[in-house]
Amino acid sequence: MELEDLLLKHFGFHSFKTGQKEVISSLLSGCHTLAMLPTGTGKSLCYQLPGYMLDGHVLIVSPLLSLMQDQVEQFKRFGEKRVVALNSFLTLEEKNQVLRHINEYKFIFISPEMLRVPYILGILGKLKLSMFVVDEAHCISQWGFDFRPDYSKLGEIRSALGNPLTLALTATATYQVREDIIQSLGLSNVTKVESSVDRPNIAICIEELADYHEKEARILDLVQQLEKPGVIYFTSKKAAEQMAALLVEKEICQAGYYHGGMDPSTRVLIQEQFIHNQLEVICATSAFGMGINKENIRFVIHYHMPMQIESYLQEIGRAGRDGNQSVAILLYSPGDELLPLQLAEGELPSEQQIDWLFASIAGEPRVLNEQLRLHKDLKEQGGFTDVQWRFIEGLIHQMHRTVPMQQMNKSVKEFVAGRLTTKKTNIFQLKQWLDSASCRREHLLNYFGEMLSDQVQPCCDRCGVQLNQFFKVSGHFKSKPSDVTWNQYLAKILINSGLSE
Amino acid sequence: MLHIELIILHCLQSIKNERTIYSIFHLLKGKKSSQTIQDAHLFSLKPFFGILEPMTRELFDRKIAAMLQNNLIIDCGGQRFVPALLGESLLQNNRLPIFINGWDYHQITGPVWERLTLLVQVASHLEYGETNYIPIQKNQAVHSWVKTVIKVSNISKREMGRKLYNELTKCFCNADGINPSVIVFRLTGFQQIGLTAEQAAKKLDLEALDYHLQFTNTLHYMIQNIKDNNEQFPLLAYLIQGFTENEELTLSARKTWNLLLQGYSPEMIASLRRLRVSTIEDHLVEFALNINHFQIDEYVDNGLQSKILDTSRQQGTKQLKVIKDKVKNASYFQIRLVLAKYGEQSWN
Ligand SMILES: [Zn+2]
Repeated sequence: MELEDLLLKHFGFHSFKTGQKEVISSLLSGCHTLAMLPTGTGKSLCYQLPGYMLDGHVLIVSPLLSLMQDQVEQFKRFGEKRVVALNSFLTLEEKNQVLRHINEYKFIFISPEMLRVPYILGILGKLKLSMFVVDEAHCISQWGFDFRPDYSKLGEIRSALGNPLTLALTATATYQVREDIIQSLGLSNVTKVESSVDRPNIAICIEELADYHEKEARILDLVQQLEKPGVIYFTSKKAAEQMAALLVEKEICQAGYYHGGMDPSTRVLIQEQFIHNQLEVICATSAFGMGINKENIRFVIHYHMPMQIESYLQEIGRAGRDGNQSVAILLYSPGDELLPLQLAEGELPSEQQIDWLFASIAGEPRVLNEQLRLHKDLKEQGGFTDVQWRFIEGLIHQMHRTVPMQQMNKSVKEFVAGRLTTKKTNIFQLKQWLDSASCRREHLLNYFGEMLSDQVQPCCDRCGVQLNQFFKVSGHFKSKPSDVTWNQYLAKILINSGLSE
Repeated sequence: MLHIELIILHCLQSIKNERTIYSIFHLLKGKKSSQTIQDAHLFSLKPFFGILEPMTRELFDRKIAAMLQNNLIIDCGGQRFVPALLGESLLQNNRLPIFINGWDYHQITGPVWERLTLLVQVASHLEYGETNYIPIQKNQAVHSWVKTVIKVSNISKREMGRKLYNELTKCFCNADGINPSVIVFRLTGFQQIGLTAEQAAKKLDLEALDYHLQFTNTLHYMIQNIKDNNEQFPLLAYLIQGFTENEELTLSARKTWNLLLQGYSPEMIASLRRLRVSTIEDHLVEFALNINHFQIDEYVDNGLQSKILDTSRQQGTKQLKVIKDKVKNASYFQIRLVLAKYGEQSWN
């Protein structure tokens, strides 16, 4: 059977998206594969389809719990029930239940911290694995923007699992990071499928403004005029909330906000309202967009500067999935780089916190409990944020067998200092790009080791772009939703023919 | 309407200056401490227990400051307040939300809401024949609950939507002072996503906490109505099934209770559990409040019990210190235990 026939049979699609077929063919011929595919190209299909043709279980490591849940749901919606996610969302009882019946699952998603539990690794080791998939593989690399200490163990884990056929997936990784992934996972004879990071249907513009007052006015102006729907990215949750309120108050559009501080059920509602066009604009932090499939986003605006070029590309990449012309606009005002710099420092534990932690655990011979985790109280007492804690816990776990306790404090500090330097370099590189006089697109491609082959039109502000081509076609503004009574609303959702009969 | 203010005024009136304002904060937040649980019983404030879980200390302080400024309450010093004249007249001229029943329902309010939203979403998609959609609830327990309901209710998939519609409208009709909009516009169906709490509050022109209060009041009304008229709501009845009631004891207290049943003394339990004796005493107070057959004679002899109760009655107070001054040979623990066991009936 041809691959296309299988695609139709299992997924109902007639043709592959960029890169998918190459990845699948490579895996089916038994080659380890590194795939860099832009977000929204259906990465999961790359292991789902070969999964059906190979005998054994597919183990997928994924760092983001919410993304994992989304993927599992998506599998189920398309009729694949033999799928499960092993992560901290499960209660102990549910976890044991899953582990007892692990043989019944074809696709097993797992978070890296679960993999470090010897008991779980032991169970997985007994399974016949057809494939070992590492999602968001750039998290392996210390050069990557999203390094996770948990991930650096994956090479070891892979070998403990008997070096199964491996697929490493990422959306944005520089050449250096890609090499790091291959080396860290211990892959030899790797097929690399690297599609371009370029998105020719997204024009890239940067506007420099005096201060945040001007930015705010500019956003109101842009949102008023641009073809919607659109997303505006902020670094601060508060700023996102305020802008959404302002857009509604000024009756510019139906706007909502979205960030990681909201409870999960509210986040789902906002996301779904946006997908169903009940909201035209979302003011969001970087928490928004993972696993979202909305094809017709026409603009992405950045109110704040992201932490690195990789995030910027991922965020603007949410526009124009339908292939139609879209625009990305970043608003910069002098001093904007201070916020990401502050944030970079806040993401890592401070020297004082590290000293405190090691002083507190100095007398304890058994620092790590049976789950190989530090005691939770230490997190609170030391004032660690979730991100800081995950980082230091992962780091200590990674070092505890190779580095003696007395030296660990020093090693951890050195490591943290190194991370901070990397993060600062990333911010600096983004700033360089903002300041550069050359074509925005060309510069971005060069960063990922690509050359710009074809000139696209419209390209960027440096090449000359008329923003008004992205404005909505004359004033067809949406009228406000008409006032329905609660009874009519209920009838509408629960009775197909309405109350008319 | 000043809903939150009204409830705070009512609470202040009930505690008669015998507790600080934060005892009310803890009560509304539903703090699982012996003191708060005891207060809810002693001052007959059980309906308001845990009805404002989302409230923050900061928000509460701001509310109190505003009430002070608007001459609704008087500052008595030491974080104690009483209703002012204006506050009292407000209490007389306005009705408290009448269906709210925090004590009995605060633990099932969230789960019932999750069930309702998912049931409506599933029924709506069955009605429109659409199988591909994002469920708005992630909780797997709720998903299995819906599956079970569909299986055991014996309602055909085509009828589900209309049945649910009929029951919901029946449930809401004749509801005194209830506005079903606070619930209904938050429901999600086929190609129609429900509003968030914040959006619904805005649509109905309510402050966030007042909205939360109305939402809770309406949901508690539904629960009570379904409970009282089970046979009228065959489908909705599933919403409130399968919850174990009387889970009023804190988890830690339950462990103590099990040890007590095995014959251990409070001191032994304390050393066994590596807890302070005072913590175990807190648990005993919880038992006195929640477990009808729990006898306190072992800890306070009968004579002392009557003395404490009499003093409390004569002095018209539940303040431990006042009682302790009169009944010198009783410990604070003994006074709390007696008030917990008999305080409510002697006062109401
Ligand atoms: Zn250009």
